[in-house]
Amino acid sequence: MTDNDQLSGLRTEIRDWLAHNLPADWRDRQGGDNTAGFLAMQREWFTKLVEGGYATPHWPKEWPGGGRSLAEQIVMFEELARGGAPRMSLFFVSLYHAAMTLIECGTDAQRARHLPAILKGEVWCQGFSEPGAGSDLAALRTRAERRGDRYIVSGQKIWSTLGHFADQCLLLVRTDSSGAKQAGITFLLMDMKSKGIDVRPIRQITGDEEFAEIFLDEVEIPVENLVGQENEGWKVAQVTLSSERGLTLVELTERMALSLWRLVDAATQGTGDTGMLDRSVARSLVDISARIEAMRAMLATLMANRMAGREAVGDASILKLAYSRLSRDFTALGLRLQSFAAMRDTRYVLGAGYETGNWMFDFLNSYQYNIAGGSNEIQRNIVSERVLQMPREKLG
Amino acid sequence: MTATIEDARIDPEEIRDSAQRLLADMVDRRAGWEARPDGAAALDQAMRELGWYQLIAAEAEGGLGQRFDVLAPIYEELGRSLAPVWLSGTMATIDALYATVSAAAEQLVAAVLENGWRMAVVTLAPGQSLAAASAPMVGGAPDATHFLVIGDGEAPPLLVAADAPGVSVTEVTSWDLGRSYGAVEFSDVRNVLFRLEGDDVLPVVRAHSELALACDSIGGASQCLSETVDYMLGRQQFGRPIASFQALKHRAADHKVAIELARSLVSHASRQFAVRGDGWAVLSAQARILACEAYAAMAEDCVQLFGGVGFTWEYDAHLFLKRALVNQIIGGSPDDLRDRIVGDVCQRAQTARL
Repeated sequence: MTDNDQLSGLRTEIRDWLAHNLPADWRDRQGGDNTAGFLAMQREWFTKLVEGGYATPHWPKEWPGGGRSLAEQIVMFEELARGGAPRMSLFFVSLYHAAMTLIECGTDAQRARHLPAILKGEVWCQGFSEPGAGSDLAALRTRAERRGDRYIVSGQKIWSTLGHFADQCLLLVRTDSSGAKQAGITFLLMDMKSKGIDVRPIRQITGDEEFAEIFLDEVEIPVENLVGQENEGWKVAQVTLSSERGLTLVELTERMALSLWRLVDAATQGTGDTGMLDRSVARSLVDISARIEAMRAMLATLMANRMAGREAVGDASILKLAYSRLSRDFTALGLRLQSFAAMRDTRYVLGAGYETGNWMFDFLNSYQYNIAGGSNEIQRNIVSERVLQMPREKLG
Repeated sequence: MTATIEDARIDPEEIRDSAQRLLADMVDRRAGWEARPDGAAALDQAMRELGWYQLIAAEAEGGLGQRFDVLAPIYEELGRSLAPVWLSGTMATIDALYATVSAAAEQLVAAVLENGWRMAVVTLAPGQSLAAASAPMVGGAPDATHFLVIGDGEAPPLLVAADAPGVSVTEVTSWDLGRSYGAVEFSDVRNVLFRLEGDDVLPVVRAHSELALACDSIGGASQCLSETVDYMLGRQQFGRPIASFQALKHRAADHKVAIELARSLVSHASRQFAVRGDGWAVLSAQARILACEAYAAMAEDCVQLFGGVGFTWEYDAHLFLKRALVNQIIGGSPDDLRDRIVGDVCQRAQTARL
């Protein structure tokens, strides 16, 4: 990243702030099966970030902490990662997806109602995917019918991150089935306490419950909760999906780079004595380290291009493919090195990233990045069709 | 003159444009494969006239005072065009001479430029020395006027004239007919032109050589991918272009990702090396590992994706494959590089930790 004096000043400021504000015992307090501890720790940390002005750097400058450049936002994510802070798991969708959607596409009343609430800890989830609409999101079928001043919504949503803790939901519904599938989609804000909503957490292969299914049975949503125009929700959804601007990958890559020592630790049975390293293991460590450094360099280039407004089509897909494979290989190497110890189901820490110390957990969890947000297969379609200009699939 | 150093910086992209024009004009990439004259001497002369050899020499020695960042696009374009010349031996030697602590080194740089000396880097196997050594495959050896000899350990590199007593060079017919190679033998060589003393000398020779191969590989891999996709777009089977089959599209996409990931590291390492910034020695080796791996994988798959014609001498798939495989091992295999830097990699990991 381009570090001028102002950015390095910000780095120092965040390091100082972390030294005074990061709870030393946060891992103990939010780890394991302790859901109540996770929620309490996340809320406590979020409140501190808001007070420090570090939760909303991407918001407009009239908001506390807002008006920061993308370069400053990158610095914040990097420093919070380097300082070993918890991730913003519970509030990430609220701060990015919900807030950015409302700021760019919402009404004044919606902004006045929700933005201050988000700063006080209103939790949002996303109701986009459906059992029959994953990679093909626009095929979604959850129906909304307008009756007077409300929409009546029925259907099923899936993969809502932390949806079982959410107060509000960004909801995509079908209001018209007559034309192209993208054309009949509408974007609504749904209060999760409404009648007719049933939320069930989804247990993942890690044993963790980070996602939820949302069943909707004639849920009433007031028309004033419409974002944008009826049947024009697809455009709004693009704003939602581009709201985090690569910052998550910056953070995750930085956390991975700073967790490389865990592989060295596992490879040396905790002694740190690299003189005794098995040669094939040593060579694998060099390669993983090379790919992490390459990932950092590629992200730095992408973010610089983004700041300069010259991002190329498909860049984000190339990055995501590179990262998702790296995360799988990184954790698979840990799994191999930790051997039987990794096969014991030990406690894990939610919202940390490569810090659980259990490589089986991290390995299993790495599938997330290969599937969520557009699976690797979809990304390969994008790279081959839009970057390499190979013929497009015939779409159904 | 009050111009600052920054004013005198040449834009690397301008150098790239000029390299592309020159190489499009002068490189006949199948020459060596069809027993035609490869035109390497004429190309070398043109490179000299364009001032490429002067780029990183200081102005006092008649150079242009640039850094490695202007060489990176040249190396990349040489790789893309499958050019028949070895530029990096001479340039790595100039770079290394500036890393020594001796004033005599500057006079040698001036002599290189004035006399048009051409260097090749010879890496000795463990236990070998100028008393007795044989290096089976040295890039550019047949045309070299001098050899920069580096050993397995940390001894200072030595500059030896190719016509010194005890030095013999035999041209090698390698599978890569696109560039010249020679076997170099030393037998009781006593006449050392210069000992390059200095802590950074050996790391600079290595980093420069590795980045040159890394850039060559990125250029070659990109060109290979582009020609492979073009072929797939034109080749029809079952009534449609084979580029429309998803199984093949995804393979091409994977190569694109590997090449771009490697390119990012090569660019980063090149910038760090240009300013001798943090981690340049380790990053250069890692950049070469990734770039050569991406090139080899791309070229191997290129032969397969071309199908039957990819297996013919007539098509160019094997030109890329053979160059890629030599790039991967010449002057040190990927495993040699890994073994050399693993200590530094682990140490960096252990100090920068969460």
